[in-house]
Amino acid sequence: MKAFFTVLSVLLVGVLASEEYCYDDVVRACKTTNKLSTSPINCTAKYGAIDGVEEYLQKYVNHHFIRSFEYLLMSTHYANYEKNRLGFEKLFRGLSDETWHDAIELIQYITKRGGEMNFQTVSNDIISEEQQDANFELYELQSIAKALDIEKKLAVEAHRIHGEATRKNSKFHDPEISSHLEHEFMPKHRDTIRKLAGYTSDLSTLLNGPDSSLSLYLFDEYLQKQ
Amino acid sequence: MKTTVVALCVFLSCSIAIGSAVLQCEHKELDIPKEWKDMVDPCVHSMRGQIEEELKAAMQYMAMGAHFSKDTINRPGFAKMFFESASEERQHAIKLISYLLMRGELTSRVSELIKRNLAPKTTSWVTGVEALKDALKLEASVTKKIREVIKVCEDNPTKYNDYHLVDYLTGDFLDEQYHGQRDIAGKVSTLEKLMEKHGALGEFLFDKKLLE
Repeated sequence: MKAFFTVLSVLLVGVLASEEYCYDDVVRACKTTNKLSTSPINCTAKYGAIDGVEEYLQKYVNHHFIRSFEYLLMSTHYANYEKNRLGFEKLFRGLSDETWHDAIELIQYITKRGGEMNFQTVSNDIISEEQQDANFELYELQSIAKALDIEKKLAVEAHRIHGEATRKNSKFHDPEISSHLEHEFMPKHRDTIRKLAGYTSDLSTLLNGPDSSLSLYLFDEYLQKQ
Repeated sequence: MKTTVVALCVFLSCSIAIGSAVLQCEHKELDIPKEWKDMVDPCVHSMRGQIEEELKAAMQYMAMGAHFSKDTINRPGFAKMFFESASEERQHAIKLISYLLMRGELTSRVSELIKRNLAPKTTSWVTGVEALKDALKLEASVTKKIREVIKVCEDNPTKYNDYHLVDYLTGDFLDEQYHGQRDIAGKVSTLEKLMEKHGALGEFLFDKKLLE
């Protein structure tokens, strides 16, 4: 019985200590007589489930960069003299700028939570897209349809990361990460998806008739003013 | 039975909707005179390459921004500067794209313009000075590449001197490169002197200065 209590108290001390390991490390470091002692001090910003979710966030950043460049290509295509659709150019440039800045914000977020960025990690489904000879020189309706699919993929990926962070498991449960995604990313995705879906509805009715060329001209004028 | 009929109706109406919507999504081939398009292939090719170079530089700066944002590094001033540089390099790529579009280029093979090989090579630095020195080297290599584009566009096997582009690259791009390089070189010098006797304090103070 006595042995049991001893084990229990040792365990308890262990638990308490682990919650103050930064402080303990600092105490040890400051007591060291040899000033060159460089035992690492465990005082990182990490808490909660950032280690469990970090890789998903890193991939999410890289996917943003890939999409940003794809949108830039789509925008470039519309700005050549043959396409000459400045409204579409503006739409896709806007999407490229947004994904670029979101990527930077995500990197800042990962590092705010004590994580680091890895630029090499990309999901397999995004890698496999590349082998399918991606084409970004599309006609108007097709290009908006493609953008809508891209935005939905990004939105669903945020849901998935949110799901990882809300698992009731101490390694994964991290309400701060899920709240950040909820407030910083999800409303933006919702609005972009709704906007693009609206454009496809408009264009599919406008292009269903003899005035498609004129319709596209006017729709492009409309996009320039957005 | 009723549900089957409903399902069938839904299916039919759906297929009718698709069937009736043969949309006119494509436009006819255009016949636009080509005489005004006077850029030559070697020059266009080197310009296209430069767009990717600028984006590679952007991603390299992005890695610097990410490194100095880490809690264990904690240099928000450096991080801010490098993230801004990343976006600047991306703007340079967009400027080059806009120039080619203005000259009637980029009507084909746009999808191949940016490949997915832009991930930065170096992702960690021992000190701020080391990163600034890398940044200076990076700028110098970009400058060198712009000079090579100028050379190709001024004198190439087709003997076509692209005066306007060469002027744009010399007056606009090189101007920015040289000013940028002088700025970084000055920062390296100030920081290195600051750190001569007071390493940790020097970098700390310099970082906060960068936030101003």
